[in-house]
Amino acid sequence: MDWGRAPQRVDAILSTRRLNRLLAHAHGDLTATIEAGATLAEVNATLARRGQCLPLDPPFADRATIGGILATNDSGPLRHRFGTPRDLVIGVQLATTDGTLAKAGGQVVKNVAGYDLSKLVCGSFGSLAAIVSATFKLTPLPRASKTIVVEAPDVETLGQIVRDVMSSQLEPIAFDIHVSDVARLLLRFASLPNVVDAQIEQTLALAALKGLGAPKRQGRDGGCATAVTEDDAERAVWEERSRRMWDSPGAIVRASWMPADLPAALKGATRVTELAGRAAVGAGLIRIDGDVRTQAAAVEQLRHSTSFRHVVIVRGSDELKSIVDVWGPLGDRERLFASLKHALDPNGILNAGRGPL
Amino acid sequence: MDPAFLNQLQRIVGAGGVLHDPLDVLTYECDGLPHLRMSPAAVVLPASAAEVHDVVRLCARARVPFVPRGHGTGLSGGALPVAGGVLIALSRLNRVLEVDIPNQRVTVEPGVTNLEITRQVAPFGYYYAPDPSSQQVCSIGGNVAENSGGAHCLKYGFTTHHVIGVDAVMPDGELVRIDGALTDAPGPDLLGLIVGSEGTLAIVTSITVRILRRPETVQTLLAAFDTIDAGGAAVSEIIGAGIIPAAVEMMDALAIRAAEAAVHPGFPETDTVLIVELDGPAAEVEALFEIVKDICRRCKATSIEVAADEAQRMRIWRGRKAAFAAMGRVSPNYYVQDGVVPRTKLPEVLNRIRDLERRSGLPIGNVFHAGDGNLHPLICYDERIPGQSDKAVEVAAEILSYCIDAGGSLTGEHGIGADKNTYMPQMFSAADLALMQRVRNALDPLGLCNPGKIFPTPRLCGEVPGPYRAHPVEKAGLAERM
Ligand SMILES: Cc1cc2nc3c(=O)[nH]c(=O)nc-3n(C[C@H](O)[C@H](O)[C@H](O)COP(=O)(O)OP(=O)(O)OC[C@H]3O[C@@H](n4cnc5c(N)ncnc54)[C@H](O)[C@@H]3O)c2cc1C
Repeated sequence: MDWGRAPQRVDAILSTRRLNRLLAHAHGDLTATIEAGATLAEVNATLARRGQCLPLDPPFADRATIGGILATNDSGPLRHRFGTPRDLVIGVQLATTDGTLAKAGGQVVKNVAGYDLSKLVCGSFGSLAAIVSATFKLTPLPRASKTIVVEAPDVETLGQIVRDVMSSQLEPIAFDIHVSDVARLLLRFASLPNVVDAQIEQTLALAALKGLGAPKRQGRDGGCATAVTEDDAERAVWEERSRRMWDSPGAIVRASWMPADLPAALKGATRVTELAGRAAVGAGLIRIDGDVRTQAAAVEQLRHSTSFRHVVIVRGSDELKSIVDVWGPLGDRERLFASLKHALDPNGILNAGRGPL
Repeated sequence: MDPAFLNQLQRIVGAGGVLHDPLDVLTYECDGLPHLRMSPAAVVLPASAAEVHDVVRLCARARVPFVPRGHGTGLSGGALPVAGGVLIALSRLNRVLEVDIPNQRVTVEPGVTNLEITRQVAPFGYYYAPDPSSQQVCSIGGNVAENSGGAHCLKYGFTTHHVIGVDAVMPDGELVRIDGALTDAPGPDLLGLIVGSEGTLAIVTSITVRILRRPETVQTLLAAFDTIDAGGAAVSEIIGAGIIPAAVEMMDALAIRAAEAAVHPGFPETDTVLIVELDGPAAEVEALFEIVKDICRRCKATSIEVAADEAQRMRIWRGRKAAFAAMGRVSPNYYVQDGVVPRTKLPEVLNRIRDLERRSGLPIGNVFHAGDGNLHPLICYDERIPGQSDKAVEVAAEILSYCIDAGGSLTGEHGIGADKNTYMPQMFSAADLALMQRVRNALDPLGLCNPGKIFPTPRLCGEVPGPYRAHPVEKAGLAERM
């Protein structure tokens, strides 16, 4: 509920908590239809019984609901391979402000009949219609998984490793960077056991990685240059990474950047305390410490930088939100959003004032 | 058409950029669905986004409807002109604007062909993933409008998964930049709405797509089965084993016979063949390929041929890709549909189609993307026999109703266009369609941008969905259907 601006007025809160059923799991077709209020963790626990999952991992999967994840188009490290919710949703049922239930898309993974409104509601923050249920394509759970954690001596080296991995034929399932006082890189491979090992060997043989010293096996990422983790240790590493930023103080923005320009971009962004995100996509979260003025200046600086594309405040004090706009410039899309909002919610009763429309 | 209006069009694009003589506009009367024809009042050939902008603005002011057109290979009449309207052909916007290898993206104008993007980046070891079989000739603008797919979209997704952003001229003539979810642009996924909107919401004037690194290895096999059920079971088991192949394609006896007659790929004489292609890291492909072979054997494959080299792989694909056009070898005419079913329903629906074949007396070939349940039934008939073309249309409609019954879709990749809009109420309720219509009205309040497509309208008399005739590019051997 922290997203966006403060609402202008709240007369009623529509909770989807009791809309929490998995309506259908067509495991042979790798699809599932899920009510909006089900949490991602619940859903994935059920899907796992058939060896499948909905490959999304935004922060707080135990609390995040399917409807919320769609409405915010939120994602995590798995985005590297599977994209964001809009890439996985294939159909949606919506409750519109005129009191009708309408659907778009369908139950099949390939379908171009009609407008793809299931994508339109992604990122809409509930401001166009209420999501009742959605159908997704799923993916089989991998047999084995391992993660390499690399500590780079500086951001330039990190950038070089990112470029090396991007231009290689390695196929990680997740490929993250974390830059704070230390520059880290996490590469996760998931496939058959011997394939995972082969990919790990190939990664360690990359020129930019070789210079960092011999890898330590099976450890937690405690101080050594390169560590390979699996099982519980692997899960702990990713969980810690996903929580870390939210457990630390300061404002958090969602940002996107040109992946190959990252080292130069970070040089320009002097007030950034921590950056974590998808290395090859060029998208993630940035944490900014300091007082509200510093935070506001940092947001402005990122927005003016040519290396960063979109910068949206996802956690910030009311004071911060009163100094800088939460959403930043919407560009040409603003006018189009206004037309859509007017068409679907003419009286402005959905999420009034929270934006982005 | 009003001479003053023509004059203004000429002022924007130059005298050579406007065609209005009935003979000159003849080639623009239809797309790849040649039985739906309409002569446009004028064809304009803008050469820049600014010219597209000026043309659309002029049309909007004069309340003249307009239709965007790429390279006219569409199979649902999406680029069918509207009577008294302007056809905006985007073929002159054909520049590659930027190739950015480090950031893995390419920006092009809409008239650039699909394959040209891969040509630009192949020297660096990259490719553009969506691969419609018309890729040598269809335009990226058309791909964006149709959300085009291809054989390899099972693993890699469709056009919508690869477009990072577009520049577009909106129906009121405003030129806008629309970033998508790939860059976390805040707000509703407008780009996801525009991709696949069949040219009814915007005219795209530049497109940025992501490119992928070529996989380390590719392996392909061709397996033969005695029954379509056995082939279908193999598909289900492969997916059930947690394997997502790069492509899984199926052909039945009639399609195999046609392909043999046309390009001699050396396919076995059998009821069903399955083509399975895996790509990715060498160790993975090697291991999973063994599992796929085991599954085929277990599902009683009568033969399994593994492509030993690139030449053999290309031969298998040639047989698959030729099957469509090759139908002409076994039947004087044929009509194709593009329905989708959940892949587990493939055997059931294919058996219903076989029943229908017996009942109707019209042979039906099946060549299709089995991995994602996208059927391409080819209904054979002879237009010289009275009543047969009408019968073909009825049969096609009945097959689409089987797809809907099975929980599927009217179209997987060819679009609704002007061909299937009357079937839309079978798949969507009045409320569903009304919501879509509201979205359309929000962006095109005057209803000038490609009207008469997607949404059901009463058919004009004599306008029926109809039989397939070879598209000119197909006749010229430039493209094959998949
Ligand atoms: C032999 C053959 C094989 C085919 N194989 C496949 C296949 O495997 N997979 C597949 O998906 N399709 C396939 N198709 C269909 C067709 O090639 C695709 O739909 C293609 O994307 C159409 O591109 P085009 O440039 O020819 O577009 P057109 O036919 O000119 O137009 C198609 C639609 O796009 C709109 N449009 C065109 N340009 C723009 C623009 N710049 N902005 C907005 N709207 C625009 C038009 O209004 C129309 O609605 C095949 C067609 C043929 C003839």
